[in-house]
Amino acid sequence: MLDVQGLHKVYEGSGRRTEAVRDLTFSVAAGELVCLVGPSGCGKTTLLKCVGGLLAPTAGEVRLAGRPVDGPPPGMAFVFQEYGRSLFPWMRVGQNVELPLKQKRLSRQRRRALVADALESVGLADAAGAYPWQLSGGMQQRVAIARALAYEPEVLLMDEPFAAVDAQTRAELEDLVRRLWRERGITILFVTHDIDEAVYLGERVLVLSASPTVVREQLKVDLPDQRDQLHTRVNPRFAELRTRVYEQVQAAKRGR
Amino acid sequence: MGVPPARRTSGMWGKALLRLVFALALPAVLVALWWAASAGSTNVYWPPLRTVFGVFPDVWTGERLRGDVLPSVLRLAAGYTAAAVAGVALGTVIGSWRRVRALCEPVLEFLRAVPPPVLVPVIMLFAGIGDTMKIAVIASGCVWPVLLNTVEGVRAVDPVLAETARSYGITGVARLRDVVLRSASPQIFAGLRQALSIGIILMVISEMFAAGNGLGFTIVQFQRGFAIPDMWTGILLLGLLGFLLSVLFGLAERRVLGWYHGLRASGRRSP
Ligand SMILES: Nc1ncnc2c1ncn2[C@@H]1O[C@H](COP(=O)(O)OP(=O)(O)OP(=O)(O)O)[C@@H](O)[C@H]1O
Ligand SMILES: [Mg+2]
Repeated sequence: MLDVQGLHKVYEGSGRRTEAVRDLTFSVAAGELVCLVGPSGCGKTTLLKCVGGLLAPTAGEVRLAGRPVDGPPPGMAFVFQEYGRSLFPWMRVGQNVELPLKQKRLSRQRRRALVADALESVGLADAAGAYPWQLSGGMQQRVAIARALAYEPEVLLMDEPFAAVDAQTRAELEDLVRRLWRERGITILFVTHDIDEAVYLGERVLVLSASPTVVREQLKVDLPDQRDQLHTRVNPRFAELRTRVYEQVQAAKRGR
Repeated sequence: MGVPPARRTSGMWGKALLRLVFALALPAVLVALWWAASAGSTNVYWPPLRTVFGVFPDVWTGERLRGDVLPSVLRLAAGYTAAAVAGVALGTVIGSWRRVRALCEPVLEFLRAVPPPVLVPVIMLFAGIGDTMKIAVIASGCVWPVLLNTVEGVRAVDPVLAETARSYGITGVARLRDVVLRSASPQIFAGLRQALSIGIILMVISEMFAAGNGLGFTIVQFQRGFAIPDMWTGILLLGLLGFLLSVLFGLAERRVLGWYHGLRASGRRSP
């Protein structure tokens, strides 16, 4: 579904040259949920923006369903790290979710249905008339997720979406992502720096090295499909996997 | 639970009444002071306020309102609207492209520094002394604050919002209408508000230079004819007009920028 080949990204400007991503190659199968973990500042956002067509890679290629990505593809939705700033504060929640659909030239009826359905599935059915800034942080992130869902993407890119919410909300949102993924069969590429989150959510975890970034390790998460916060996290296999990822991330931070 | 509806509405009315009292208290005091201080005045240039109020209805008859105030207001509306449209359009273009901005910035700074009334004689050369001249004067003075504020507002679109729009394929007209202009609207409105007071000043000044009617023209006529109380009524009317326009502007702003005031009050911008 998604193929990243030899991705290389160098930021140039103001006399500084930063090699954010050195050489990344991996692929994500259709309907898979893959988590990317890596130390802070290792180029996760850069990678995701290249995948989403928001940044042009310096070298290498990203392909979505065989076609090269050279701009934001219509089958892809992005959930940003800074959720508070990615919602349009002058629009109500419902309008925020609807705006991308207008651009897709869907009929009003179809738009209404998609908006209602998306808000319903993130548990915000009665917040459609509120402004984003009237909502809590966790609710705002749900709105961002609902907007992505309503867009009916084949691939959903999520950049540390829960980094700024409290632990309780975070657990709820993780379960929400798992549920939506199972129900809708979307392909999800989920970036995080939280090792537990990566193991809990993913079918596969890619560990990235420190900048300049390469894929350090790929790990299949062989936990049962049905996961819940209580039991999965005390599963011995979960502990093994998280130890494994933890070691890799630590090694990555030391830069070896 | 909760307050019975009757009491709640009476509370609401009470609040509105209180706001009204607050808004009118100081003007009332000032008028009272003026009234008292001028009561015994025998200075012809400074007549008692009572006299001014007394002649007001005789001066500003329906005919005068139609023949002098209405043309003034229409010219103001035309000049201001032209300035607003041109300022927002040009400002959006300049603010959107760094190259254009670098090219235009020095010229804009220069033109902005020229006091608009100075342009009146110049514009008279080109546009004559008719309505066109007055509208051009008003527009040429009003356009700068709108233009410069629009440039700033358009430049300052949050990069995360811009990227969000791009990732969802929101481009072209939709991007302009639903993202860029909305995001810049607080600054645009700040510019429009400055432009409004400049517009009123220029409306009067342009009529003082050369005109056959209008509020500024009438005031000058009264002054030349030593109809001093009448002149004062004109100044009062001008003040009232400015106040009324400012109130209308405030209402429009509240409607368009409701989200912005709410956002600021919520104090919860970004995580
Ligand atoms: N626009 C830019 N211009 C120049 N350098 C940049 C730019 N964006 C990111 N970088 C650099 O690229 C590197 C990777 O940044 P990136 O934001 O992709 O990391 P990240 O893994 O997402 O970090 P975090 O975990 O803090 O979100 C950093 O060294 C950063 O300084
Ligand atoms: Mg990041």
